[in-house]
Amino acid sequence: MIPYLLEALQCLLTLTLAPGLIGLVRLLKARLQGRRGPPAWQPYRDLAKLLDKERVVSTQASWIFHATPHLVFASTLVVSLLVPLVAAPLPFDRAGDLIVVVYLLLLGTFFLALAGLDTASPFGGMGASREMTIAALAEPTIALAIFGMGAGAGSTNLGEIVARTLAHPEATLSPGHLMAFAALFIVMLAECGRLPVDNPATHLELTMIHEAMILEYSGPPLALLEWAAHMKFFLFLSLLSNLVCPWGVAVELSPRTLALAVLALVGKLVVLAIAVTVLETRLAKLRLFRVPELLGVSFILALLAITSSFLVR
Amino acid sequence: MAPALFSRLVTLASSLVLLSGLAVLWRHSLAAYIRTFARQSFLIVLAILLIAAQERDVRLCVVAALVLVIKVVLIPRVLHRVQRHVAADFEIHPYVNTPLSLVIAGALTLMSYAVAAPVVSLADLPTRGGIPLALATVFVGLFIIISRRSALSQIIGFLILENGIALLAVLATFGVPLIVELGVFLDVLLGVLVMQVFVYRIRETFDTIDVDRMKDLRH
Repeated sequence: MIPYLLEALQCLLTLTLAPGLIGLVRLLKARLQGRRGPPAWQPYRDLAKLLDKERVVSTQASWIFHATPHLVFASTLVVSLLVPLVAAPLPFDRAGDLIVVVYLLLLGTFFLALAGLDTASPFGGMGASREMTIAALAEPTIALAIFGMGAGAGSTNLGEIVARTLAHPEATLSPGHLMAFAALFIVMLAECGRLPVDNPATHLELTMIHEAMILEYSGPPLALLEWAAHMKFFLFLSLLSNLVCPWGVAVELSPRTLALAVLALVGKLVVLAIAVTVLETRLAKLRLFRVPELLGVSFILALLAITSSFLVR
Repeated sequence: MAPALFSRLVTLASSLVLLSGLAVLWRHSLAAYIRTFARQSFLIVLAILLIAAQERDVRLCVVAALVLVIKVVLIPRVLHRVQRHVAADFEIHPYVNTPLSLVIAGALTLMSYAVAAPVVSLADLPTRGGIPLALATVFVGLFIIISRRSALSQIIGFLILENGIALLAVLATFGVPLIVELGVFLDVLLGVLVMQVFVYRIRETFDTIDVDRMKDLRH
């Protein structure tokens, strides 16, 4: 029973902390740019406001348009059951490994692109085509980086990788591990629509990707999509931090270790959020045609990670 | 330092050296190439110091100091001056475009693993994990030389190749005799100075440092 409560706790943490993480990144970014910026809890207010509004749906929209917000939200929430956020051996570890996690996230991306095409608005189609270009380039990289991580630990099971890293802390220094981390970090920027790839703060039609696809949504469906995007960012960051630096993740269950694990998770997320913010403040958005080059770099990193994990023992 | 940790750190340093070689394939600005080369040389200094600390070898510390002075400070300074002087900011249209270059570099790395496999399996050095990576750096340097057009990028390619050889030497032998190292350093330094003169001459003759234009000399 207790382990399933743990899964519920992970779900709850993802739901509640994700908008706060985005709010923190926005606040830090505003401060770094010399603006005052909205408070960190602004995304919660935005979500509450959107959930309260009426929904406006185009008469041309098919069932895909209606189903997508729920699908994206649900698939992201399922991921939160599989990623070791606060405890390492999770009861659902048997149900899915890193590969399932990645493809659940890609399932959301796929339906989002379909929904962008569904209402036949020109922006939606543009955003969908861009998103698919990036997803097609990011996917092989993610697969390779996963195998790089998995080859080091001898398993693609997330709980297993984290437990193995905790048992052999020197493995975090191996080049395979670090390069897989770097590759996943770049892919995270691409998948979550962060700065060198997509500008999360813009509504300028020529540059946006994620915003273009959800342009037709309003009210509660929009809230679900935004919330899912926040959760995706949260999950990617916690996945990265717990894979590379798993200390603090509870291995045995007691109130004390769990409280410590939650604190450690928040601490690691704040550090990563600061890193992302500084990176985003220093970088300009890449031209769309240079995005494949960036993902090429990430692909090479993943390739090197996997060769060095396999060939250097 | 525990041998396992030492060999991991050495492998890590070698892969960072290779990565900074790959960074040249992605960047477009010549100033960034030069900075990347300086960074790569600094990583080699760290690798040499690591081995020196493990082996308690004073000679290797001297070698590290020489690399620091010549490759991290002196040569980048010379190259920056050349770059400012010929007013060339960007590598224009390399023969191979960026994504393909990266894929080729990945293939070269795999190849160097394959080539170095017999050496690695024979050697029982703690540093053997870095040998294929150093070899890959040599190949990447060579690839930069043949795939870029501007004379300055080709010099950078040569220097990266040389860095790969230096790393290979220190990984495989824990330091060749000091006199050999001194000879190599002087060689590199003089090579860069001579090439600098060539860059100036090319620029004077063709108004650009695109070596492709040298084909015009045939007519």
